Amino acid sequence: MTATTMTAELLSTTPRPLLTRVGTVVRLLFANPWTAIYTPLLILGVVFLMNLAIWSIVRASIPEDGEMAASVNGGVLFLFIYMLVVAVQSVNQAFPLALGYGSTRRDFVLGFGVFAVILSIGYSALLVIASLIERATGGWGIGHSFFTTDELWQATWWEGFALSLLAFLLFFSIGAATASVYVRWKAMGMYVFWGTLVFAGIGGAALVTWLNAWPQVGEFFVWAGVLGAAAWSLIITALCALAAWLILRRATTSG
Amino acid sequence: MTTIVEARGLTKRYRGITAVDSVDFSIARNTITGLLGRNGAGKTTLMHLLTGQEFATSGTVSVAGGNPVENPAVLQHTCFIKESQRYPDDFKPKHVFAAAPGFFPHWDSEFAHELATEFRLPLDRKIKKLSRGQLSSVGIIVGLASRAPITIFDEPYLGLDAIARQNFYDRLLADYAAHPRTIILSTHLIDEVAALLENVLVIDSGRILIDSPVDALRAHAATIAGPAEAVEKAVAGLDVIHREHLGGFVSATVAGITEQVSRAAAAAGLEVGPVSLQQLIIRQTGGAPTDHEEVSR
Repeated sequence: MTATTMTAELLSTTPRPLLTRVGTVVRLLFANPWTAIYTPLLILGVVFLMNLAIWSIVRASIPEDGEMAASVNGGVLFLFIYMLVVAVQSVNQAFPLALGYGSTRRDFVLGFGVFAVILSIGYSALLVIASLIERATGGWGIGHSFFTTDELWQATWWEGFALSLLAFLLFFSIGAATASVYVRWKAMGMYVFWGTLVFAGIGGAALVTWLNAWPQVGEFFVWAGVLGAAAWSLIITALCALAAWLILRRATTSG
Repeated sequence: MTTIVEARGLTKRYRGITAVDSVDFSIARNTITGLLGRNGAGKTTLMHLLTGQEFATSGTVSVAGGNPVENPAVLQHTCFIKESQRYPDDFKPKHVFAAAPGFFPHWDSEFAHELATEFRLPLDRKIKKLSRGQLSSVGIIVGLASRAPITIFDEPYLGLDAIARQNFYDRLLADYAAHPRTIILSTHLIDEVAALLENVLVIDSGRILIDSPVDALRAHAATIAGPAEAVEKAVAGLDVIHREHLGGFVSATVAGITEQVSRAAAAAGLEVGPVSLQQLIIRQTGGAPTDHEEVSR
């Protein structure tokens, strides 16, 4: 049946719907769920349990009514770096395969965007739910704060969610932009990219110092607040996403 | 016959080198075409151009009625299997086969698994840990099971043993008969695939040297062997593309042979034999580029 339809009819000149094509790329990126889901969750679980164990040992070794300084634990921060790596690897390794299998560059970039947004929302929701449980159980019954940041920043659940989401999106876009430089220009691109970045960083710092503007920089963060400063990161996120698209749309898979 | 691939003045220049140099050719729908040529002749670049993975410097290419570059209407019909295909580091063959149906609307999952068994491909092993031959079979399975109307294989057999290669050719031919499609196969192993090919495109230094049906190519060439003097007399005035001397005997490979010549040679007691496709192509592309004769269709 397929044989006859394939030979008898002219090949279709209408593309399949955009959603189908983008969905195909998303499925490719999720094809091995260990990469972006199972492995990071496993690491998060292990880190959390070890933290909990250490905290309860410490807790048990001091008197019942003894005071223990509460602190903020940076244990979840690895998740953001991990997603940066996922972004780099996905763009670098899945791009040639997707193109080889007939995806357009545009569909790939859109598919990656959907992939990044799904993961960002998913992990942000996970972190927020865990922090709510942590608060409700009084720090897992032993006053441990792993997911909450109350000591540093008192946040409502939606503020916590928004901060995580913005941070994940920022890390994904930085990863995608960096990887796209490599995909397009290989090692030479990396030299130029990192070189330029270092110079821009030093130059920016020098400029701020020269203008005696450090207090103003500090004031900006105070003025913007945690969430405000995070919201400003959307500019960087958007610029990185745009850069990734502009770089990949002329990238090839050879070399 | 419907033309499905057409290149006009297609050129790709990289810094300093012209990988594909103003080529013109067309490929008829539902045929098997061999894209032959030496290493660095421009085969891979040409196939990248056909699938929109490279951007042409000048000229045009049309596949299934459109420019393939960033064109989902064209690319939904193509499947490009290349020897150098990279896969994500943590992928196993099963992940490739799970993702493939989205790219290829005609994907036959059952067929893919049947082929995996036949090629003894472990589905649950990391691709990075596969042997060279197993890696090649991943590509071959995707290429066959995709049933893409335009399937392009770029030297897909690296590391495969002779049995597995024969298996590939048999499967390709059987599936092609059951599900006709356009197949472009680039290869070095010309004689192995000679029986599969209907047309050949021979490319050298970025230029098309031969663009011809295989039958025509074969029919117009023969070797005439016998005592040197008699052979030289028989081939006088003909286009001798190769001569082999062995003592007083000569074996001459002649292009553009006619029925009359071969009959006369046979009558003179000379041995007239066929030329293998590989021999013919090597002879035709062996000399300096200016010596090549273009065999037109």
